[in-house]
Amino acid sequence: MLKKLTTGGYLNVLAAVLGVVGAVLTIVSGTMSVDNQLSGLPMLAAAAFAGAALCVLAVWAPARFGNFDLVSSVSIWAAIAAYCYAFGGAVGQRIMMIAGLFSYNSGNTIGWNVFYVSVGAWACLLVGCLALVASGFLRTVKQEG
Amino acid sequence: MKKTGLWRGLTSLLCFILAISIILGNVLEANAGTIDTYLGTLSEEFVSENTPDDPLYDKFTPPAEFLNADGTGNSNALIAAAIDLGRREAAEGSVLLKNENGALPLGSGSSVTLLGIRSHKNLLGSSFGVKAQGPFISLEQALSKDKTDFANTMSWSVGSRGAPPGATVGTAWAGDEFGFEGAGFQLNQTMIDVYETLSQSEKYTHYENEPAAEVYDPGEPSIDEIEGVDPGFRSSFAQYGDAAIVVIARPSSESVDYLPGGVADGLDFEHGEPFSLTKNERDAIELAKECSDKVIVLISSSASVEIGSLKDDPEVDAIMWIGAPGCYGMLGVADLLCGRVSPSGGLFDIFTAYNMSAPAMQNMGKMYYANTEGTITRSGGVMSFTPGAYTIEAEGMYVGYRYYETRYYDCVAGTGKADSSAGTYASKGGWNYGDEVTYGFGYGLSYTTFDFDLQGEPKFEISTDPETGAPSAYATFSVKVTNTGSAAGKTPVQIYGQAPYTQGGVEKPAIQLLNFEKSGVLAPGASETVEVKVDLQFIASYDENYDNGDGTKGTYIMDPGDYYFAVGNGAHDALNHIMAAQGMDETKMVGQGSADQAYVKAIDESFISKTLFSVSKTGYKISNQLPYADWNYYQPGEVTYLSRADWEGTYPKSYTDMTLTSQELIDALNGKLYDLQTGDDTSDIKWGQDNGIKFYEMFGKEYDDPMWDRLLDQLTMEEAMYIFTFGGPSIPGAESIGTVETYMTENAGNGIAVNLNASKDPGAPWAIPASDPNGNWHPEVFANAPMGASTFNPELMYELGQFEGIESLFTGINILWGPGLNTHRHAYNGRNGEYYSEDPVLSGVAAMEFAIGALEYGLVAAPKHFAFNDQESERGGVSPWMTEQRAREVELRAYQIAFEASKYDTDDFDAGMRGLMTSFSKIGAIECTCSYGLMTEILANEWGFIGYAVTDIYDDTDLWTAVLNSGTTCFDTRGQSGFYKITTLENCSLFANQVQPYKLTSSLIEGDRALQLKLKDAAHKNIYSWTVSHLMNRYNSTTRIESRLPWWRALYKGVQIGSGVLAAACGAMYVVSSMKKKEGN
Repeated sequence: MLKKLTTGGYLNVLAAVLGVVGAVLTIVSGTMSVDNQLSGLPMLAAAAFAGAALCVLAVWAPARFGNFDLVSSVSIWAAIAAYCYAFGGAVGQRIMMIAGLFSYNSGNTIGWNVFYVSVGAWACLLVGCLALVASGFLRTVKQEG
Repeated sequence: MKKTGLWRGLTSLLCFILAISIILGNVLEANAGTIDTYLGTLSEEFVSENTPDDPLYDKFTPPAEFLNADGTGNSNALIAAAIDLGRREAAEGSVLLKNENGALPLGSGSSVTLLGIRSHKNLLGSSFGVKAQGPFISLEQALSKDKTDFANTMSWSVGSRGAPPGATVGTAWAGDEFGFEGAGFQLNQTMIDVYETLSQSEKYTHYENEPAAEVYDPGEPSIDEIEGVDPGFRSSFAQYGDAAIVVIARPSSESVDYLPGGVADGLDFEHGEPFSLTKNERDAIELAKECSDKVIVLISSSASVEIGSLKDDPEVDAIMWIGAPGCYGMLGVADLLCGRVSPSGGLFDIFTAYNMSAPAMQNMGKMYYANTEGTITRSGGVMSFTPGAYTIEAEGMYVGYRYYETRYYDCVAGTGKADSSAGTYASKGGWNYGDEVTYGFGYGLSYTTFDFDLQGEPKFEISTDPETGAPSAYATFSVKVTNTGSAAGKTPVQIYGQAPYTQGGVEKPAIQLLNFEKSGVLAPGASETVEVKVDLQFIASYDENYDNGDGTKGTYIMDPGDYYFAVGNGAHDALNHIMAAQGMDETKMVGQGSADQAYVKAIDESFISKTLFSVSKTGYKISNQLPYADWNYYQPGEVTYLSRADWEGTYPKSYTDMTLTSQELIDALNGKLYDLQTGDDTSDIKWGQDNGIKFYEMFGKEYDDPMWDRLLDQLTMEEAMYIFTFGGPSIPGAESIGTVETYMTENAGNGIAVNLNASKDPGAPWAIPASDPNGNWHPEVFANAPMGASTFNPELMYELGQFEGIESLFTGINILWGPGLNTHRHAYNGRNGEYYSEDPVLSGVAAMEFAIGALEYGLVAAPKHFAFNDQESERGGVSPWMTEQRAREVELRAYQIAFEASKYDTDDFDAGMRGLMTSFSKIGAIECTCSYGLMTEILANEWGFIGYAVTDIYDDTDLWTAVLNSGTTCFDTRGQSGFYKITTLENCSLFANQVQPYKLTSSLIEGDRALQLKLKDAAHKNIYSWTVSHLMNRYNSTTRIESRLPWWRALYKGVQIGSGVLAAACGAMYVVSSMKKKEGN
């Protein structure tokens, strides 16, 4: 049974939501144009979803094991790694497209659309990471008594 | 906060930092070559040991004048030489168009007022493409100073005018300053201050490298705005009234065109078009009239500016075209203005009263097939180009001056309804040359005058190779040039020709440039005999319907009849001489002709057979190879091409809504160009043999040396696929032949786009070290291409190539993506600044001289964009439709001249260019990269091209097999590096989406014999091109790559290690703290 959440808990929930949104946007950006597909997209999306699941675990575990417990801590760290894997895997594949958009290929409207969606995905994942970092310092649930 | 929470939080933070640093590291490593270029770092070092048995850097070396006594590079001498060359290029390339009342030159010490914001904020280069990079010498400095002020004069580039600069194209200059001899004028500081103030405002912000624009505003302030800055500015005129110089500019750049009617609101363009002058520009000229009795207008552009009203204005005394003169070209302009040098340039394009009067303008810009949606299924590729774009080049043969001069000729002759009103813009009534044309192609004035005297009969040398039937047919004209004026000067010697035309027969222009040379500087009264050798193939005509009798159609023919040749100050002058020789009605002519300057030769079968040129110089039979260039090939009768048989009835209409109905056409547009074979017997094709040959041993080996077969057999098929797939800038190594991954290629036609201190060959004895005060010098400093063309000076063109070759030795780049070699179809092409001219002979000679000069220092010039890149609008995959005659006689002729380089052939050596870059565009329905007719039949078989033939960036990566099959030798894969490990055939996203149902893997073509042979051929040509370059300077048996630790690599690795260790420590502290907490509970 869940206890009442503190700021740290809400940050984990926020990170989970951002992870799901980031995963969805990663899928959209990787499939919206046949010429701009992300290779390894299933792995990237799975990592983001897994990160979100770990965030949920990081909310649930303290209610059972207490704040700053090992399960939630490892979940947070693993979620950070998962989000960064999804973010980094996509960024690496988009670098040259972005370089083109800001120079010789600025008229690439599809590319700009991919760019905007990608930036949305990356923002979600990075903000999710930052939320997890912040939550790492904080209690997740209110202590009884 | 509890300690446990603190340790956990810190661990989280450090995990995050660690993850980000890993990501950053991966991104940096995957793009290490490009990052090194931009940061001036070195992450992978090309290492070879110099031993007496295996000497290095002994094949290509810079001239001694650029080396210090100890053999190290002398950056000061290199920059000083660049300044001198840039100066001479502009002095010879600027074109004096009008000079009434001896307005020019101005005397030394003249007090001068500069007007027009471009006099203060000069246009020097293009914002994309051929930028003028780094510190420069402004017009004001060239006119009034005697020393550079590089520290405070840095060029900038901008994506769109008025926007903040996208990027500075040079970092702050802390290097040497250089003395120069300026014009010695006194300048009106009041107006300089006014323009400086105005240029600080967003509305009138200008940069040295600006782009064209689809909706154009030249950003010229009004007189009211000038008064707003300084109400009393006119009072300064009295003191600086020796002359008023007005500068008008129209920029050029990659990726955008001017468009018909594309002008900003409220500026009152004279003709409602971007190349006409705005009210503010016209007012600046009126202001000049208030200022001085001597009004001089400088036109800074890469295309025809509509200056007919200035030509006719008696109060405008002089007009001079100065192009986009690069970082130091203003010194050359100053030389001309003060009379230190007499002008000797000729116009690179015809200057018309209205550029819209070119028949090509009926079909330019953005046009799309009416049924694109649902019909074209192929996507726009990695660059996301828009599918379905096309342009019907219905003007046929009549592009540039070929149109205006031929129609003029027919007007005078009274044939072909030439004087009808079709296509009239400036003419009153019927079409009239004098109204439609302002200054003709090749035209230019000097401060002196010249007399041209054809010396007797030209020397004809005509033969055929008894074995191959390859023709050799030249006519050498001896022209005695006499300086009949009072100033010293030099002049182009331009030879033009006219083939006999039969009404309704094969289209033939009335005049075309055949070749040119330039005299030396002649003192008043002095003479020089200049010999100009003309390749008679270029007066032959391509007859697409000629029956070759072997089942093929189309070849070059020489119709029997009278062939006229003339020497003249431009095409129009030469044509007038021919018309005078033909006894045509002088009262109908515009200008005067002199029969003495023309020569007629009756050519019949006994002198030159009609089909002499049906065989190429390589001995290859010529026939139609580009039938699919013509729209009517797929959908007959839908397009009418302009014919001089009926100017009125065939004047182009705008084909704005073409509909695709031919399935063959639709399939071609959808990329169904090659069916991969899977079951061929390929057992006789050898890969991965152990023949014991290394790449470095191939230096000096001819292309057909048997040793090549043995070397190529050593390659594994996978290695060859990497070489074909990743064509640069970083090019994969191949362990089997002892090559290593190397950054080999860069732009551009006006200088190597790599800083001196970022050399890709830092081990060269002459490499400029990072500590050199001039290390930040960026060699991309020369003028836009039309300036080089307008010099009409082959020696100077060669010298420009030589100098870029020397630059390449200092920057370690051995393949150059340049120069631009497409011909100007019309003035509105935003990229005209990167291409020489509308004329293929002028363009081809310029590129040939450049390339052969560059190769002298081991730089392989790869001209671009082969071919048919006739507009920037929808350049990615646009279909230009044209006749094969047009393709061959205009577009391809420039490349043919450059690639054949016949001028430099000897009995023992077949000279030629060793590189090219293909076009983004198609030819008709087929991508140029995939056109077997273009890349193999014409380029390789007819012209004998041997070398590196790379696609444009990421172009047609979805057509991997078709590109390989055509004869293209590799893809431009900028940014890709770390081959075989980080970047592989299988994981590179550029090739992930193929039109055909296959994935790119190292085993893809195992069952396709034809493609394996093509792959071997591509590898051969690529590797051969490396062996003729200065890459060979640094290869021997010890060559290897060693990893280095540049600051960015040290930084991310340090962060990785630091954050990793700290994360582990904090994690441990967290565990300890948790355990203590648990024990406490």
